Amino acid sequence: MREAAAAPVQCFFEDVEVNVPLETPGITLTRAHVTLFTGITGEAGQADADTVPSLLPLCLSSGLGWRVPRPPLAVLAFMGFEWRFLASLRVGDTIHSVSRTLTKRNMRDAGVVIEERKIVNQREETVQAGKLTLLVARRPET
Amino acid sequence: MLSYGPVSGHSGTFFEDLAVGQEFTSPGRTVTEADIVIFAGLSGDYNVLHTDAEHMKTSIFGERIAHGLLGLSIEQGLATRGEPAAAHGVLSGLKWKFKGPIKIGDTVHVRSRITAKKDGPDASRGLVAVERQLVNQLGEVVQEGETEHAVERRPE
Repeated sequence: MREAAAAPVQCFFEDVEVNVPLETPGITLTRAHVTLFTGITGEAGQADADTVPSLLPLCLSSGLGWRVPRPPLAVLAFMGFEWRFLASLRVGDTIHSVSRTLTKRNMRDAGVVIEERKIVNQREETVQAGKLTLLVARRPET
Repeated sequence: MLSYGPVSGHSGTFFEDLAVGQEFTSPGRTVTEADIVIFAGLSGDYNVLHTDAEHMKTSIFGERIAHGLLGLSIEQGLATRGEPAAAHGVLSGLKWKFKGPIKIGDTVHVRSRITAKKDGPDASRGLVAVERQLVNQLGEVVQEGETEHAVERRPE
């Protein structure tokens, strides 16, 4: 029989604090990111290798959220989001994300968290922003 | 001359060529374990939902599922293969819902429909709103939403 792996250290619904800003470290956008990403999407007709595909920064921001001094959120499901693309990004730009919880709502077996997130470039300009709705696990009873 | 699609420059489709009500269907694509592994590596999102097969046996999904944003990224790629280039021009905004899981081996395609055309951020571009559904092999809508794109107007 398989030995159980340790339960991941996670930030549960109970641990989520409303209105506390969380800022991630940065990541520099490279041609390697663009190549890997367009390889995954299969996007055709990319005319300029230095233009960053619109969805890539958002995808990277979900990983940046794992590099903050807080365990990752125990996300059970990403339910949906609204997003604005305010300015384009180029290879060589460095982004980070700034987020905060706007509201948290109890459900029967879990909780719904609405997070405001923005992606900021090296000149502190907000290049993308929106709101994400996440289903987050409650702390398991021990 | 034999052509394999736009290599550079403009595709020849402009804001004026798109009409409200136009519908498109993309080819299909099978989502593989490799897609999920590469997406985890690229994004840095290693949530157990996508990376721990044993943990997921005990979850409501029963197995690993694709990242929601992987599904959306695949959707955007598929759209470029099923629509005139202008209909998926530069994204200016989107509203999106993740309705069901995409599992390894599922085959998805995109259904899309142009729902609105309006003036854009400047005189050279208009905005096009497109309703999109990502549908699996069982006909279930696994993701859906609306995207808004800035599309070049035909030069005078």
